[in-house]
Amino acid sequence: MALIERPAPAEAPAVATPSSSFGVFRRPVESTGWKSWLFTIDHKKLGIMYGAAALFFFLVGGFEALLIRLQLAGPNGTILSADKYNQMFTMHATTMVFLFVMPMAAAFANYFVPLQIGARDVAFPRINAFGFWCFIGGAIFINTSWLLGGAADGGWFMYAPNSSVPFSPTHGIDFWGLGLQITGIASLTGAINLIVTVINMRAPGMSLMKMPIFTWMILVVQFLLLFAIPVITVALFLLMFQRNFDATFFTVEAGADPLLWQHLFWIFGHPEVYILILPSFGIVSEVLPVFSKKPLFGYPLVVFSGAAIGFVGWGVWAHHMFASGLGPISVAVFSVATMAIAIPTGVKIVNWTMTLWGGKLSFTTAMMFSIGLIIEFTIGGLSGVTHAVAPSDTQQTDTYYIVAHFHYVLFGGAILGIFSGLYYWWPKMFGKLLSERLGKWNFWTMIVGMNLAFGPMHIIGLQGQPRRMYVWTDARAGEGFFNLGFWNLISSIGAFILGIGVLLFFINVFVSSRKKERAPLDPWDARSLEWMTTSPPKEHNFDVIPTVGHLDEFFHRKYEDRGEGDHHDFHQVATAEEIMAEQEANADQHIHLPSPSYWPLLLAFSLPVMGYGLIFNLLLVPVGAAIALASMFGWSLEPHTASPADYDPPTPQGGAELEVSTNG
Amino acid sequence: MSRQVTQPEKVRTDLIQTELPTPRSGGSRLRTAAFGLGATALLASCASDAPQDTWAPEGKYAQDIHNLQWPIFMIAGIVGVIVFGVVLFVVIKFKDRGQPIPEQGHGNALIEYVFIAIPALLLAGIAVPTVAEVISLNDTDNADCVINVTGQQWWWEYDYPVDASNNICGFAPTGDAAPIVTSGQMVIPVGAKVVIRGTSRDVIHSFWVPKLNGKRDMVPGRVHTWNFEAEQPGIYAGQCAEFCGLSHANMRMEIVALDDADFQAWIDNQLEPYQSPEAGTLAATGEQTFISQCSRCHQIDGLTNADGELVVASPEQFVWSGAAPNLTNLMTRNTFAGASWDLLTEDCRADVWEAPPAEFGAKYLEGVTKSCLNEIDLKEWLRNAPAKKPMYTDPESLADTDGKTRGMPYLALSEDQINELVAYLIERK
Repeated sequence: MALIERPAPAEAPAVATPSSSFGVFRRPVESTGWKSWLFTIDHKKLGIMYGAAALFFFLVGGFEALLIRLQLAGPNGTILSADKYNQMFTMHATTMVFLFVMPMAAAFANYFVPLQIGARDVAFPRINAFGFWCFIGGAIFINTSWLLGGAADGGWFMYAPNSSVPFSPTHGIDFWGLGLQITGIASLTGAINLIVTVINMRAPGMSLMKMPIFTWMILVVQFLLLFAIPVITVALFLLMFQRNFDATFFTVEAGADPLLWQHLFWIFGHPEVYILILPSFGIVSEVLPVFSKKPLFGYPLVVFSGAAIGFVGWGVWAHHMFASGLGPISVAVFSVATMAIAIPTGVKIVNWTMTLWGGKLSFTTAMMFSIGLIIEFTIGGLSGVTHAVAPSDTQQTDTYYIVAHFHYVLFGGAILGIFSGLYYWWPKMFGKLLSERLGKWNFWTMIVGMNLAFGPMHIIGLQGQPRRMYVWTDARAGEGFFNLGFWNLISSIGAFILGIGVLLFFINVFVSSRKKERAPLDPWDARSLEWMTTSPPKEHNFDVIPTVGHLDEFFHRKYEDRGEGDHHDFHQVATAEEIMAEQEANADQHIHLPSPSYWPLLLAFSLPVMGYGLIFNLLLVPVGAAIALASMFGWSLEPHTASPADYDPPTPQGGAELEVSTNG
Repeated sequence: MSRQVTQPEKVRTDLIQTELPTPRSGGSRLRTAAFGLGATALLASCASDAPQDTWAPEGKYAQDIHNLQWPIFMIAGIVGVIVFGVVLFVVIKFKDRGQPIPEQGHGNALIEYVFIAIPALLLAGIAVPTVAEVISLNDTDNADCVINVTGQQWWWEYDYPVDASNNICGFAPTGDAAPIVTSGQMVIPVGAKVVIRGTSRDVIHSFWVPKLNGKRDMVPGRVHTWNFEAEQPGIYAGQCAEFCGLSHANMRMEIVALDDADFQAWIDNQLEPYQSPEAGTLAATGEQTFISQCSRCHQIDGLTNADGELVVASPEQFVWSGAAPNLTNLMTRNTFAGASWDLLTEDCRADVWEAPPAEFGAKYLEGVTKSCLNEIDLKEWLRNAPAKKPMYTDPESLADTDGKTRGMPYLALSEDQINELVAYLIERK
């Protein structure tokens, strides 16, 4: 049996670095209980916490959406005041983008990238923990604005100069900017961590072109984050100085051009769209082959089109600004570039469909969400082409038609992909299957709900209803078949059906958690490495680091082609259980994993402290900075693994575990 | 912020409901919805009554956009139907019915290249007319008429300059030429290429009248030009399309197109000298109330005080954007407060808005008559403007704007003062 061992005292670099940093607190070493979560640096625990927090914020953002749809269900809505409405749509978008879809992708990436590449953890486990706590800190920080004078009210795009103090005198935008700065640190550190992990820590034999497609898409996303987050960081710093220290970056009277903000925001904001969607493209590209019993059609092309989207995605930002007066040459160039990006996106749709073609399809909930994505995302993609045409966009931009478009892309794309991933990987993460019966209800309610909620928005938008209006009026509603009154009501009803669909997922989670029955080791007859271990995986992931010979390594260990020439005849030669048993029998003897640490949590905690300081009392800033500085020192001086003295009771000369490991 | 007071609107809603059929039942709604899904495909051909319908162009530029967009919607629709059809076929055909494990092939280069080539060709075909149209839409040279448009929270101002040959908007005024300043409704001559030169006094706004053209942002510190040309006399609805803060929803506008003779009459009327109300009337008292209560911000050209001095408004001292609507000819327009409320009663409004093109001009030029005045909304506005339209006027919220308001504050006018003001204002045309 494999063991995670603590090194024998003689091996520990105790002489070079103090074992118990600063000696203030005992180093946490628990592997069960709440402390094992709070101080964990295990990528799987962090992945689960990312997921849980993201799903919580999904509910928050969904609640905000329902309030918006209640307000707009009829003319002259009175559920929300104009002020509250503006805060609500700002926070709905901010929450869904930064606090749900991005961390949800981080959850899957954290949990599954090391497993898919046959690694025992990410390259920098403590930085991983730090990133997670930054996300939590930033997310809570932003949302406390609701209780401290009101949330941000400038829209998630926060155009200048409407974001300046005279136009938004509450602290909402300060909370928003500083909070996103903090969650930005999470994204940036996560990006570096995962890039290094994927480049350096793949199992022997796994060349880049044998890497699972989900890991590929995550890699592309991390590069996008690596270059996009610094842009929004700069923009947010300008905004902070504008609002808090009387800078004039966006003050027109002082010579500023407000379009500067738009360029900075969208140079970040457009790659951000691909940051949101590509992880789901990766998930779908895993799920479709498994339930078609076929490899992904045109794997190299899917990889390259993903990378192409990543590159071209940097050259289309100004299509968010077609009406802002850029001049015809810029508009024409960005219009054509935007059409060009439809080609690699279209490639993916074709490859997914061709993956299904000739397959042996089983319609599990995960599969249905993935097929749902193909359909719904295609609708969003096609409406996208209609406003890549810049003249047409001058009619559509800032109307509900755009709202319809990006909800088909983001809900129909990113979120359906996320749900596909949740159903697919749930048994891997928790060892229990989600109910397929409830899952189908979940799927169909969400599909009906989303099409009723977002479909009519195409009509509403083409009928001339702009976005971001806290009321609409009968005077502009018309009376014909396409009247705004009827379709706004349908849209609101759809939103509530969608809400029920989302609730069904949580009911499913609850029901499955009460079930005693364990999921089989390989419930889907899967193809990639994350299924070649226990469910949930052991702390060290793999007893033996696998050597990889195929793209779908796990499938090829299970099946053998006994056909000749062009005739193929696959036979199962091994079950997952047999493969597992063989691994356990040959388990590695010495596995070193780093110990938990409280420094990442403490360092992340210092950031919101400084944030509150910048808003309410500058004296808090040095306090936060002191915590940050102390944490960085403590972190730097902390050894890789805990010293025996950190255990309670201390295990001076080799504890029980060590003994077992020497025994074998 | 305080909510809108909707009581008077309720009154009007009741009126409407007596004329319209009762609200549809749930069952018929469902049937309508089912029908709707089928009919969505017919989007292009269906006429609709929504005044900001982007698929019902009534002027050159909107028509050019429409000629470009509908074939693209068609192509997108056809591609969509093909994708759905193929996916549906695949899902039915290749369902697991116990067939053997398929070949573990990794793709087919020919299929892949073909499906790169097809969308690339389609998109190249779309790109060419797109680029041509982008360039033609942005051609704002050779204007027949130039109007300066300025956005501010939350209304539009139109300023008609006098050109070198003493013309206004390409027309020679009968009397002396002077710039015309108005707001809410922009009046243009039919068939002329009208170029607006737009900017903003505070945040970014976007000028959008869908039946005449797409939208163009109006950015502080920049001047953006944009074209309009109306085919027929009539009133064309628009709405600020760029989120501009608290009352973004209440920042509307209309373009009013008049044929040449009517437009000439409109200009001449706008330039008529100021006439004080007849002495001793309620309106005359209203003039004094206006001077004491309103003239700090609102300009009425030619208005003089008791000493015979011209009364000049100085909104820059009280309003953050530095401007308030010019009310010289308020009652020649038929909406107010950012075109968000009607100056006409429901029936009179319908009479003007729905007039056939041939009769429209005469009806519009009548302006607001006493019998047609929508006193409910106007008085409510005078009673407490920020309660009707959310604005930043609460003294406690003005610390960051040097005490200046964003929008019209609560003036604590008495009912008598309100009646006087209404009597005075109804003569402003």
